Amino acid sequence: MTLEQELSEAMGEHVADVRASSLMGTKIRRRHRGRRVRVRTAGAALVTVAVAGAVPSYLALTEGPRATVAGPAGTDSEARAGIAPPVEVPRAIKMTVAEARAVLEAAGLTASVEGETGEAGLVVEQTPHIGESVPRGSTVRLVAIDPARPAPSSTTDGPEERMTMPQDLGDLGDGRAFGGVRFGYLPDGLEWGKWSGKNGFGTTSYTTTWQRPGLPEGEYDVQAVVYRDGAVAQLKKRMKGYERQGAEPITIDGRTAYLVRAGEAASQLDENGTLTLVWTENRDVAVEVMMSPGYAGEFGDRAGTEMRKIAEGVEPTR
Amino acid sequence: MTEEDEAAFDEFLAARSTALLRTAILVCGASPHDAEDLVQNALEKVYRHWGRIRHDNPESYARRVVVNAAINVSRRRRVIQEITFARPPETAVDAPDVDLRDALLAELRRLPARMRAVLVLRYWEDLSENETATLMGCSAGTVKSQAARGLARIRERMGTLEGVRG
Repeated sequence: MTLEQELSEAMGEHVADVRASSLMGTKIRRRHRGRRVRVRTAGAALVTVAVAGAVPSYLALTEGPRATVAGPAGTDSEARAGIAPPVEVPRAIKMTVAEARAVLEAAGLTASVEGETGEAGLVVEQTPHIGESVPRGSTVRLVAIDPARPAPSSTTDGPEERMTMPQDLGDLGDGRAFGGVRFGYLPDGLEWGKWSGKNGFGTTSYTTTWQRPGLPEGEYDVQAVVYRDGAVAQLKKRMKGYERQGAEPITIDGRTAYLVRAGEAASQLDENGTLTLVWTENRDVAVEVMMSPGYAGEFGDRAGTEMRKIAEGVEPTR
Repeated sequence: MTEEDEAAFDEFLAARSTALLRTAILVCGASPHDAEDLVQNALEKVYRHWGRIRHDNPESYARRVVVNAAINVSRRRRVIQEITFARPPETAVDAPDVDLRDALLAELRRLPARMRAVLVLRYWEDLSENETATLMGCSAGTVKSQAARGLARIRERMGTLEGVRG
C-alpha cells in the first residue's frame, strides 16, 4: 500500500464515526440571528421564538447510527426522535398566531410562541418547514410580527436586500458617548458601527454598535442600549425576570448587574443565546451591553470579563 | 430568504454537513465538538448568502469557507500547542506500540496547516490538483509541491518511528 493510500485510510478511519448534529441547521440559524443588530425591542417588531425540539428533515435522511456529535441542545429532541412516530409539518406561515397554534396542535405538534405580539400576531417564519417529517410532539418555532407594523430592516437578509441602518443621533464621532453616558472601555480593535437608533427599546432609549472593521452592515460585535426615563422600568422588569429564571446577580462598581445569555426574545435566558450584561447605572439610567456570539467566541472564557470591563468603563456625561 | 431557500439549505446540510465536519476535523486536528463549532460558524456565512449562492455550486463555496476556517483555527491552535507541548521537532511520536494509523495522523497533525489541508483535500476528499488549487487559492504547482513535501515529511518521520518505512 502506498503512503497516500495509508494516509487516506487512516483519515477515513479517524472520522468514520463522526456525524454532524441533526440540529446543525437550527444552530446555524440561531447563530445567524445572534449576529444581527437589534434595532428594536422584541414586541415592538419582530419576535423570534425559542426553539425547543425542531428536528430537521435530514434526521431521517442521515444514515447509520444517530449523530455522535450532538451538542447539549440536541439531546432532548434526538432522544424523542427515536421513539415518536413522525408527522408532517403543516403550513403556519401567513396565519395568525392563534390559527397557527390550532393547526399545529391538530397535527400533533406544539407551537412554541411567546413574546408580545399576542395571538393576533402574523406568522412570517416557521422551523421546521412545511412538509417536513418530524416526530409527533415536536415543537415548531414560529416567528411572528405585529401585523400593524412593518418588520424592521434588520430582519432583511443577504446582500440583495441592503438595509439602511438608522442615523437617529447623527455623527457620534468615535461612537462611545451617547444617551448621556460614555463607554470608556471597549475591547481593542473595535470601531463605531456608524449608526444609531433612538426609542427602539422604549422611550427614551438610545442604541449603537461597535465592530471590527469590515463587518457587513447590519451586524455587530458589541451593541449597547442606554435606557432613560420610562424605558428604565422596562429593563428593570427584564432584570427581575432574569432573576426569576435563576440568574445570579453580580456586582459591578457597587451596582447590581446580570450577566446572562439571552435568547431571541431578550427576556428569556438561553444557554446558547447572546451574551448580555444589564445594570442600572442610577435611578434614571440603565444600560444593556450585548456581545455577538461570534465575537464572544473569540474571547472564549474571557468574554464575560470583557463585558464586565465595558460596564466598569461606563461614565455618565450629564 | 424564501421558504424554498430555507428548505434547500436544509437539504444541503443533509447532504453535506457530515462530510464538511469530517474535513474540518482532519484539517484543523480539533475534537469533533470544536470542529462542529467551527463548521457552524463557517456555514452561517453560507447561510447568510444562501439566496445568492444556492444555484451556483454552494458545495464548493461551503468547502472553501470551512477549509479556510479550519486552517485559521489550526494556526491559532498551533501557537498554543507549541508553547504548551514543546518537544524537539525531530523526535517522532514515542510509544513503540502506537497504532500505525494513529502515528500517521499524529504526523499529519504536525504539518503546517496549509500543507495538511492539501493532503486532506487530495487524499481524503479525492480532489484533483486543479480543484485543490482553486479551493486553496494557489497554483496547481503549489498543490503538487506541498503534497509531495507533506508526504515526504511524514515518510521521513514514520521512518524514524519504525526504522523500516520509507
